[in-house]
Amino acid sequence: MLIGKRRGWEIAERLATPEALMLGRRAALGGALAGGAALAAAPAQAQWNLFGSNAASNAPPVVLKPLTAPRLDRYPAGRAISAEADATSYNNYYEFGLSKSVAGAARALPINPWSIEFTGMVEKPRTIGFDDLMKQVTLEERVYRHRCVETWAMTVPWTGFPLSKLVEIAKPTASAKYMVFTTLADPKTMPGLGQRFYPWPYTEGVTMAEAANELAFITVGMYGKTLPPQNGAPLRLTLPWKYGFKSAKSIVKVSFTDKRPVSFWEALQDSEYGFWANVNPTVPHPRWSQATETLLGNDDRVPTQIWNGYGEWVAGMYTGLTKERLFV
Amino acid sequence: MFLLNSVASLVKDRRGRFSPLRAVTLAILCAPMLQVMVLAAIGGLGGRPVMEATHKTGDWAVYFLLLSLGVTPLRAVLDWQRIVPLRRMIGVASACYAGVHFLIYCLDQHWHMLTVASEIALRFYLTVGFVTLLGLLALATTSTDRMIARLGRRWKKLHKLAYPLTVLALFHYFLQSKADVSAAVFVAGLFAWEMLWRVTPHAARLNWWPVPLLAFAAAVTTAAVEFAWYGLATRIDPMRVLSANLDLSYGPRPAVAILLAGLTLALIAGIRRRWRQRGGVAMA
Repeated sequence: MLIGKRRGWEIAERLATPEALMLGRRAALGGALAGGAALAAAPAQAQWNLFGSNAASNAPPVVLKPLTAPRLDRYPAGRAISAEADATSYNNYYEFGLSKSVAGAARALPINPWSIEFTGMVEKPRTIGFDDLMKQVTLEERVYRHRCVETWAMTVPWTGFPLSKLVEIAKPTASAKYMVFTTLADPKTMPGLGQRFYPWPYTEGVTMAEAANELAFITVGMYGKTLPPQNGAPLRLTLPWKYGFKSAKSIVKVSFTDKRPVSFWEALQDSEYGFWANVNPTVPHPRWSQATETLLGNDDRVPTQIWNGYGEWVAGMYTGLTKERLFV
Repeated sequence: MFLLNSVASLVKDRRGRFSPLRAVTLAILCAPMLQVMVLAAIGGLGGRPVMEATHKTGDWAVYFLLLSLGVTPLRAVLDWQRIVPLRRMIGVASACYAGVHFLIYCLDQHWHMLTVASEIALRFYLTVGFVTLLGLLALATTSTDRMIARLGRRWKKLHKLAYPLTVLALFHYFLQSKADVSAAVFVAGLFAWEMLWRVTPHAARLNWWPVPLLAFAAAVTTAAVEFAWYGLATRIDPMRVLSANLDLSYGPRPAVAILLAGLTLALIAGIRRRWRQRGGVAMA
């Protein structure tokens, strides 16, 4: 007999909003929204920038291609999938601006053509085209919970392939201890780079053990389509047991090293954004509690789970690391 | 009915006549709240509407607090006596926004007041914010005619608290920011301008040149505050922030914006001065 024990973050199936209803409601709201759009756009763009330059780019709207892959049910999300409109409109992407409304500006992201450089401790440094890479992988869909360090969370169907596959393709040498990801830094299309005191380009890193973990994922699509620019097109990292900033977007370089990298946010404020950044409700951020999280779209507040609820698959990696600040 | 009467009395001057200036001010003070309410109703506040509303009301509490402290210098600089009675309305509005800001925070915590209390005790920026709120509410509740009469001389002393409360409000603003404190730095620059004006010798204020000079002094102070914050509170290299002030490609940075605002004010003051000298009519 199957006995399901409901964990803290799980809600009953009946409580989840049916997708059709959700989408229908959005359609109905669409009319009202269109009227308020001009009004809404301005405050949603609000950020430091008195005289603009945060306008949507002149680039044409991005056409997302369908990208279907079989869904893997091994890691149940246990809660309703977030509305696509929320997951694709509430984003941190500092290269395009400090506000959460960067989708317009991010349209300029030059994703065609795209290539990824393998460098550092690899058998042979080389650069691989994105399309070439896609031919070497098998795509699958995984619904993961995403927890931002800022206490918001969402649940997203990501399409991609295991990070371990990318490691296999990159061929690191045995001496590599860390895998480092670098985001594109293109001053022509990314106005945020004008804030030169930030340590551009955005870099993030994981240990080789973390890179080999079955949950670590390279994402190339969401909601059955290719990734929108603001979500990190054309490929990004997805580490569901860590705070969202660890999951670097729009990766152009993958390097292997034996020295622990200092990541973007760590360089800015190591007391608040450390190297490990594993989700833990009992370790508060210096400025706020991490005990609960707000779900995008409905402002529901639910308890946060240690390892974002993925301890079964990841906790074992950290058993010997008692001296490390694993949760900041 | 009570509400209508209150509004009616708010837009009348001391002699009981309708005052367009008071009406416009009241409309401006209410506009941000109405905007938040409309956006909330049409789903225009984004993925985290409650958080967005918290930020917006907090921003306006600070802006109006700064505006209330700007009345005295603006009266002198623009030679505009009639704005003085507006100060009370602006100050009370600031306290109201701070109160709503707090209530929306409670809403975000789903009214778990135990969580709210423990968060205020545990998170330094919330402690600072809450102390500021209590102070602002104390000032607002002692702003009725009756309280002013009752407190007499002590009223003025009590309301000097507006200065330290503004410092606390700004500190709260800085502390709650992520790595980028530009928005808070800009408001700190406005405060710097207002305080620098207050220490300008009375004799000098009669001339035209202190106003443009203040713009530069406030801009330098703004840059210094920003430099100090990044140097002390973050790992960002403050020298790079300082030099970024010379680069306008990403839009003017806070110190530059303060300079531009200060010079614009100087220009307006200059035009008014010329206008007066030619015997123009007093501004409404």
